[in-house]
Amino acid sequence: MEKILEKKSLPKWLRKLSSYKIYAPAKEGELWNFKLIDNPESVQLDFSQTALSPKKIIFPQREVLLEFNSNEDGVEVRETLPDEKPSVIFGVRPCDARAIILTDKVFSGDFEDPYYWRRRKSTALIGLACTPPPSLNCFCLSVEGSPHSKDGLDILMTDLGDRYFLESLTEKGNELIKAGKELFQEPKVADKKDVEKIWAESEKKIKRQVKELKKIPAKLKGMFESPFWDEESLSCIRCGICTYLCPTCHCFDINDEILSSSPLKGERVRNWDNCQFPDFTMHSSGHNPRPDRASRLRQRIFHKFQYFVERFENYQCTGCGRCVSKCPVRIDIIEVLDKVRDYGS
Amino acid sequence: MVKVEELKNEVKRILKEGKVKYTIGYERDTNGLLPKPAFIKKAEEADKLIWDPTCVYNLTRFLVDEKRKKAKEKNPDQRPVGLVIKGCDSRAVVVLLQEKFINRGDIYLIGVSCENTGVVDERKLQKKLKGKKVEKIEFGEKDNFIIITSEGKVEIPASEILAERCLECKANFPLISDVLLGEKSKRKSDNPFKSLEKIESLSAEERWAFWKAELDKCIRCYACRSVCPMCYCDECVVDTINFAVTADTTAEEKAQKIKWLEKSPASSENFVYHMVRAIHLAGRCIDCGECERVCPLDIPLRFLNKYLEKQAKELFGYEPGSDPEQPSLVACFKDEDPQDFIR
Amino acid sequence: MAEEFEPKIVAFLCKWCSSAGSDLAGVSRMEYPPNVVPITVMCSGSVSPLYIFSAFNRGADGVLVSGCHPGDCHYIKGNYYARRRIALVKKLLEYVGLEPERFRMSWVSAAEGTKYTQIIKDFVKEIKPLGPQKKLRRD
Repeated sequence: MEKILEKKSLPKWLRKLSSYKIYAPAKEGELWNFKLIDNPESVQLDFSQTALSPKKIIFPQREVLLEFNSNEDGVEVRETLPDEKPSVIFGVRPCDARAIILTDKVFSGDFEDPYYWRRRKSTALIGLACTPPPSLNCFCLSVEGSPHSKDGLDILMTDLGDRYFLESLTEKGNELIKAGKELFQEPKVADKKDVEKIWAESEKKIKRQVKELKKIPAKLKGMFESPFWDEESLSCIRCGICTYLCPTCHCFDINDEILSSSPLKGERVRNWDNCQFPDFTMHSSGHNPRPDRASRLRQRIFHKFQYFVERFENYQCTGCGRCVSKCPVRIDIIEVLDKVRDYGS
Repeated sequence: MVKVEELKNEVKRILKEGKVKYTIGYERDTNGLLPKPAFIKKAEEADKLIWDPTCVYNLTRFLVDEKRKKAKEKNPDQRPVGLVIKGCDSRAVVVLLQEKFINRGDIYLIGVSCENTGVVDERKLQKKLKGKKVEKIEFGEKDNFIIITSEGKVEIPASEILAERCLECKANFPLISDVLLGEKSKRKSDNPFKSLEKIESLSAEERWAFWKAELDKCIRCYACRSVCPMCYCDECVVDTINFAVTADTTAEEKAQKIKWLEKSPASSENFVYHMVRAIHLAGRCIDCGECERVCPLDIPLRFLNKYLEKQAKELFGYEPGSDPEQPSLVACFKDEDPQDFIR
Repeated sequence: MAEEFEPKIVAFLCKWCSSAGSDLAGVSRMEYPPNVVPITVMCSGSVSPLYIFSAFNRGADGVLVSGCHPGDCHYIKGNYYARRRIALVKKLLEYVGLEPERFRMSWVSAAEGTKYTQIIKDFVKEIKPLGPQKKLRRD
């Protein structure tokens, strides 16, 4: 289904969706971040890139898995699955939506993670095509994405100046549009032509690229023991920003948080974990298979461009550019990949 | 004005003479405004070095990595490491010397003076230029910066786009150095704690609301800790894993390891983390501003540490990073220390 | 019937003076509110800021650090270091917005049982109206 929505009607549509939890980018100081919206009038979609991706709505940084407490009969354990109230996330960039599809693969397969899937199934993603690119370091075109990619989205919106062009891609998307039916108009042929033009121009505006990324997984296979990683990681300060900001990273740690020891009361909590932290692979014997920054940088590149490719036939990177923009010492994944491709030649 | 050629020549000289193992400086990053840290091992590579208002980083942090690397090697190279430092960075070196973390002979300091300006604040600059892409920034002759964008040259008075800490600069040229480039110009700084006035004027409840709103954003990426040269503990109180674990550590010892903080970014845990870090930096933080620069969520961390810096000055007359011979703030005391808060 | 709020106070008492002072109060059958959880430390100088933050994090409504009078420290200088360190912790807690009445320090010698009971009585009286400490407490 294709529709046109006047920009001024956007808050009216959001009000029709009052039965949903609505998330949209909101400005905090100079940064944009996804927030739960109470006031539909406050939604503005003229942002470039959110600091954290919408992954944190479906896969929160801190999630309680179960609660336990002791009583006269022993220890009572209570599972705390997330509620299934339907949610809508507005303003999802195509790279962040593709990242959610990649994370879906990890949380399914032999074991369907109930915490992840409860939120995922009840969340609709309304995307916003990138005109102009959100970041100077965007490179989605190199990793099989695009500024108007529809992967993972229920609706794709394109900004036409004073109105949005909406393309519904799933049943969920259709239902959302039906909820505000009188607010939408049918698109004219000229509108569709404008959209095609905008999409074509947006691809030209992506300045950065990794040429011949296809060669890299095979090239990496021979580079595990190479001293290349020592050189590249010299300035890494092992801070963890690249991993926490990445929309595709999904490693987690499970801890028991004890609120009181007697009577016993506590929670089992799942937190995001970070392979760039020195203690990520620390064994309880004290041995650490990745004791230095070289091995951890190698792990990051290998996981994204070799292991994930072998396992799921996709790069575990959607080219959002956050790691490049926010690295405190300007370690640039695009440059590293270029060097990998040309290594030894 | 500091001439980059002098900097390059000095680095080339010390490398050719074998005086240092390698030198840490700044090099241009082709894909962004700020530079990359450069590790120059051969004299020819020294041509990569730059010195301009984008050289924001505190390179002292890499001395910590160097020490760790040396500790792991069987026959380490005992030559010093060359380091390009600004005035604020030199105070970090002084603190490390004071705490005997490094010896003076381990470092060869190439000091550069910021003279009457300093380094640029990326966010302020972007706001001023409204989206124009910056290709290069240079020091101007009249306390201004010359910004070269894709659309031509712009000259902006430095004070409009200086990093916040530069506006309260206490040391615009390095206090210790082996070689000093640039003028030792006097810098006026009448109120070094001016930036704190706004927060201090708030009531306790308002301050609580302010800090809660800011620290709730924290995702515990620990970038602030990782970039700080003074956070050099191998085993940080926040990490629940004990790095000193060896094959001989008994299970009982491991079980007794106290977990001070939960790993999750709950509000209370974020508060404890930031307060513990602030108190561990009392009298040691020299306001290089790196923690605030690297924070991906723009949390104003400088204000947390700066407040304790002010208390150190007002209550105990202590200035961090001013004298390598003085003891650390909490490792000394005076008979006249205030005790009006003690019953 | 609603229960009245009883604040929980964690007191770090140095073994040689303050803890002995609190023992004297007990042995002399002096009455004072039972809201204190006493933790004996060897010296007030050994009280790390972590203990204080951790006490508030775990739900303490008030924290007291008490040591020997200046000049009387069993380890000669410990209480002088404590004076400096605790001053910084107090300033930091106030800066962050915690009510200043919740964190106190005192000099209590082994003979000052009465002083100790008075300190505790005043502490409980002054923080009862503030209610439970919610700001730094882990939920």
